[in-house]
Amino acid sequence: MPFSAYLNSKRDDCRALVEALGKHFAFVSVLGTDVSATVIRADRKSSAVQDGRGECGFVVKMHDGRSFFEYSLDDISGDKEALAEKIVAAVQVDDSLKGRMISTAALADEPLKEDFARESDFADYSDEQLLTLCRELSQELLQKDPQHVLNAIAMIQPYTVSKLFVSRNRELSQHYGWANGYLVVVYNDEKLVQARHVEGEDHIGLIIENLRKHTDGVIDLARHLTRATAIEPGVYDVITDSSISGLIAHEAFGHGVEMDQFVKDRALAKLFVGQYVASPITNMHDGAAAAHSVASYFFDDDGVLAHDTQIIKDGILAAGLSDLASATQLGTAPTGNGRRDSYKRKAYARMTNTFFEPGQDKLEDMIASVKHGYMLFETNNGMEDPKNWQIQCTAEYGIEIVDGKLTDHYVSPVVMSGSVPDLLKSISMVSDNWKVIGSGMCGKGYKEWVRVSDGGPNLKVRVKLG
Amino acid sequence: MSDLKRLLENAGLDGWRVSETATESYELFFVHKNLETVRATDTVTTQVTVYVDHDGKRGDSTFSVYGSMTGEDLKAKIQAAAARAKLVFNEPYELPEGGELEVSLPTNMDTADMKALGREIADAVFAADTVPGGSINACEIFLYRDTLRVRNSRGIDKKQHVCRVMIEAIPTFTTEQESVELYEDHRFTTFEPEKVTAEIARRMREVRDRSLAVKPQTPLTVNVLLRPQEIHSLLSELAYDANYADVYSHANLHQVGDDLQENGDGDKLTFCLKAILPGCEESSYFDGDGMALTDTCILQDGVVKNNYGASRFGQYLGVKEISGNLPMNISLSAGTLTEQEIQAAPYIEAASLSGLQVDLYNDYIGGEIRLAYYYDGQEIRPVTGITMSAKLSDVLSHLRLTAKTCVEGAYEGPERLMMKNVAIL
Repeated sequence: MPFSAYLNSKRDDCRALVEALGKHFAFVSVLGTDVSATVIRADRKSSAVQDGRGECGFVVKMHDGRSFFEYSLDDISGDKEALAEKIVAAVQVDDSLKGRMISTAALADEPLKEDFARESDFADYSDEQLLTLCRELSQELLQKDPQHVLNAIAMIQPYTVSKLFVSRNRELSQHYGWANGYLVVVYNDEKLVQARHVEGEDHIGLIIENLRKHTDGVIDLARHLTRATAIEPGVYDVITDSSISGLIAHEAFGHGVEMDQFVKDRALAKLFVGQYVASPITNMHDGAAAAHSVASYFFDDDGVLAHDTQIIKDGILAAGLSDLASATQLGTAPTGNGRRDSYKRKAYARMTNTFFEPGQDKLEDMIASVKHGYMLFETNNGMEDPKNWQIQCTAEYGIEIVDGKLTDHYVSPVVMSGSVPDLLKSISMVSDNWKVIGSGMCGKGYKEWVRVSDGGPNLKVRVKLG
Repeated sequence: MSDLKRLLENAGLDGWRVSETATESYELFFVHKNLETVRATDTVTTQVTVYVDHDGKRGDSTFSVYGSMTGEDLKAKIQAAAARAKLVFNEPYELPEGGELEVSLPTNMDTADMKALGREIADAVFAADTVPGGSINACEIFLYRDTLRVRNSRGIDKKQHVCRVMIEAIPTFTTEQESVELYEDHRFTTFEPEKVTAEIARRMREVRDRSLAVKPQTPLTVNVLLRPQEIHSLLSELAYDANYADVYSHANLHQVGDDLQENGDGDKLTFCLKAILPGCEESSYFDGDGMALTDTCILQDGVVKNNYGASRFGQYLGVKEISGNLPMNISLSAGTLTEQEIQAAPYIEAASLSGLQVDLYNDYIGGEIRLAYYYDGQEIRPVTGITMSAKLSDVLSHLRLTAKTCVEGAYEGPERLMMKNVAIL
């Protein structure tokens, strides 16, 4: 699929609006977005083929040599001088607040013109083919254990992103796609449970292949979850799967190094750059260019090219993640982490693909090293606390490890909590395998949702479970 | 866009629905006391659903309409959606019919100049920034004026105007040893400056307490008091389980008639979902289908009384009086717990959690507590760094609800819910 024809047709309008607003502001950029998403879904009794959460519109960012202003709108057609006047009027502030506007250095606007694209195979699959596949997968799951499977949902959600960024000296476009596939089973055997499997790729062919491989696995997981018990609260040796490693990376230190929090003195990490914050075998990255996954864009919503930022190097906090506004206030170079929920929302410093680097250990040796503990699987949710370095991460389930062996005893759910440095400094083994999972959504506080991936190798940690 | 209705009527469809939300906003982003960013928005979100009957079934498909689309674009989108709907074989159902309405949620912010209002709200927030050692390190103020309009092929044309404000403020307290913060998310549809200042001031006092908080000796087993936000979270989980769609897809745990507090010795839970709660931005006179909403009792004396939800799934279940898809506005009946009873035994009152974790399937309730007040039988002191964990069924069986009630956000009901004998680590 090509770059949005609609946005292509708006290049002249964007340039003209930048020009018109340039009479009022030292810096002006226009970001145009055209994101289309499709949801294809089948379960025991119903099905759906419809648009998912897409967007199409524009956000104008302005800087008057001191402070930032933004205006979001659906279309930029028509008289640009009149539109510029409307925008200027809309972002005025009450006189009593004018003296409280921040003062920053002028924004750089380095010249660059480039069009970026990454191929996907979405055009090879019709709605009908994908719906038929979802129906087949749902039926297959239902038939595997008709007595206990109450419902089985199969879902594929492709989405394509086109974005156009225009400022006085830059004109960038990007086009790429990503898709997620889901299997969910509602299973009842004395206890009602849900088990799921998620895939994320930029090729639907790979998703189909992988979903087909996991139908037995999701039924088997459901059976085990019906037998799962509550965990006895306590402090345990824990082995994480890639999903839980990623959740730790994301919640423990990802949010804590979003540098808009540095500006607001909301992140303890600001005081610890250059210091040990994790065990010396810990290395952590974030960046749209750091891995190939759901957040692998070419430039961010501020028009800054994608980076690979090493956050933790050999246990030492090395760098943070910034958007244009926070980098400008801190006097640093932006790291390509300026992201918006949609064109209707503000850009903030946000994570992209966040993960720990692989290490030297073998997973089997890691499990063998645990006298009594748990291996944790599948992210449910997490909550950050960058100021006070507390953490809460919930895993869908865990499997008990006794005398160095995984048992058949499942626990669910498992809430992991405690102090971030205690957790990261307890990392004692890091596996040599590695996986990033591109199916997550991340909020800032309780809003501003963006697509993210996270992951890494298996980690051995010591942490409080409840 | 004005052609949309005509295009839908002439497309040979068996039904259609248009849901449109026009939003104007004015937004202020403060870093400490300084204004970093000023934003404004003027956008419209439009979703169209087309319905096609075929092979004895009903298919539907939803698509988004953007301001940039031409008449030809719309025609093509409608045809594509109709083709998609023919791929979908769902059991037949009727769209809600008839009714024109134009209403507004009560507000005092509909005519005010947004810039002046933004400044007044900022003044009300920062008026609470008077605690020595305390500060508001970040504050975001969002003023929204929404107009939601739902139309369908069976004559529904309903419009609701909402003026709403969301404040996200970060009260912070700094000592020589450390700096701590709490998160405050305050929403309203009627602006009362004193109430805003009082709410932020309460959080300023609590963040000062967080700086004094220490981890208590653990493990311990103690009664835990939940505040309205967490009571709402707990009851929301019970309510979601009662949605028609979940019942239809066999994903619900509890059936009508099930007693969730069987053999319990505490206060019985009786709560309703209500279309309108005073001051609550989620309040609505109709749902996404344009269907009028009927307040519905979900739990009565601990027993599941009714399901609720959208017209389609209500029809599938054969419900005679369909509630409509009610917002999660919860009205919980008062209990019997008195202040004297609360003080009769040690307790932990959770003032700030990372997020209450409730898992109906696994019979679990718990979460990390960032600030709590621990009464050990002699004195009350702030505590932090603890995690609670309990069996949900045990909590439901023995919980107590205060006789004293309050209205807060999307919740009205007892000020506190007491969970008995919870494990604290």
